Amino acid sequence: MNKILEVKNLHKSFGRLEVLKGINLEIFQGETIVIIGPSGGGKSTFLRCINHLEDYQSGEIIFLGKKIDKHTSNLNEIRTKIGMVFQHFNLFPHMSVLENLILAPTKVKKISKEEAVQKAKVILERVGLIEKINAYPDNLSGGQKQRVAIARALMMEPVLMLFDEPTSALDPELVGEVLEVMKDLAKSGMTMIVVTHEMGFAKEVADRIIFIDKGVVAEEGSPEEIMKNPKNERTKSFLRHIL
Amino acid sequence: MEAISVVITNLPFLLLGAWDTLKLTFFSVLIGLVLGTFIGMGRLSKIKVINIPSTVYVEFLRGTPLLVQISIVYFGLPQLGIQLQAYPAAIVALGLNSGAYIAEIVRAGIQSIPKGQYEAARSLGLTHWQAMRYIILPQAFKNILPALGNEFITLTKDSSLASVIGVTELMRRGQFVITRTFQTFSIYFGIALIYFVMTFTISRIVRYVEKRMAVA
Repeated sequence: MNKILEVKNLHKSFGRLEVLKGINLEIFQGETIVIIGPSGGGKSTFLRCINHLEDYQSGEIIFLGKKIDKHTSNLNEIRTKIGMVFQHFNLFPHMSVLENLILAPTKVKKISKEEAVQKAKVILERVGLIEKINAYPDNLSGGQKQRVAIARALMMEPVLMLFDEPTSALDPELVGEVLEVMKDLAKSGMTMIVVTHEMGFAKEVADRIIFIDKGVVAEEGSPEEIMKNPKNERTKSFLRHIL
Repeated sequence: MEAISVVITNLPFLLLGAWDTLKLTFFSVLIGLVLGTFIGMGRLSKIKVINIPSTVYVEFLRGTPLLVQISIVYFGLPQLGIQLQAYPAAIVALGLNSGAYIAEIVRAGIQSIPKGQYEAARSLGLTHWQAMRYIILPQAFKNILPALGNEFITLTKDSSLASVIGVTELMRRGQFVITRTFQTFSIYFGIALIYFVMTFTISRIVRYVEKRMAVA
């Protein structure tokens, strides 16, 4: 199998506070990895290091065989291959759904507007929002916003998708529609890293679950192993609290 | 009654000055906007060679009187071999000055946009400049429109200082009329009214644009 991402001994501090204390991870093509763990444990920071929204102090991040760090010269090109979905959607409110989708393909990848629009329609169809193509983000529900955000990331044809608590800001009744889209994506073979508390989702689509606590990978295993027989005391107590 | 008729007979002469005031303000605002946008971004840069000069610029131009700045450009620069006519000198001085104020407005505007907007743009592969141009600045300008309107109005009034270097804008023309007629009160009051009509119109236009942008 093709190795998409390798993280070796990653350390990251904010000032004197060390948030990541040596994270190791490998992810292969088509895998879906779910990261769980208490808040403040470094899950989001870890994701943000992968596409270098955050710099890190030591260790290595290797994406498709190339190191990602502050010296990486073609960072923008690499970022087009790593889609990211945020907890608070971060849609561009001054642009319509269509404009949100075609901005990066036309400005970064320089594909023609016609081609981008065609593609946007296909992807909006896929996330079930073709009728909202001309709507503005303010007029969408939280679930619809997040599906547009996923569509926007897919427009760049990423090799890897990062989801940073994509359903945490949603009303409970809107969580399902977003998870459905993510499940479809996982089943279509997309390589994904998902930070979430949705254990049902993890159980259904995760190839591996990683429990990050206090800046380290405290436990790693299949959903079965982690949910039925957690070895680590911290994993046990965490799962007791969220299930 | 003579007081009023003096204003009316001299109105065409004064209105020519008002037109000059408007042009002066317009070109100064243009310089101020371009300068202010870049310096405002510079104030937020993490790169010291960009950040420090931007900060020095803003602090110095806000911390010294506009009258002194106009005098430096018009009377001072010729000693360094840079000779400007009164009208361009006034535009340069007013533009540099408003650039400092607009920089602070732009800086606040950029900071008012949630960080996630910039991060989303960068995560899609946009460069810093593309993120600024397509995502941050359009939203920031919408937010700072009222503050920019204020700055335009301030500049319209401050342009009267150009009269001291002989620019024949509204204030200067008023003084001409007074030396001829000695009607100090009615002419100065008439000038005040003309300034008021200009600033009030600008504030209405800004509010109109604000409303239209709120819809979009």
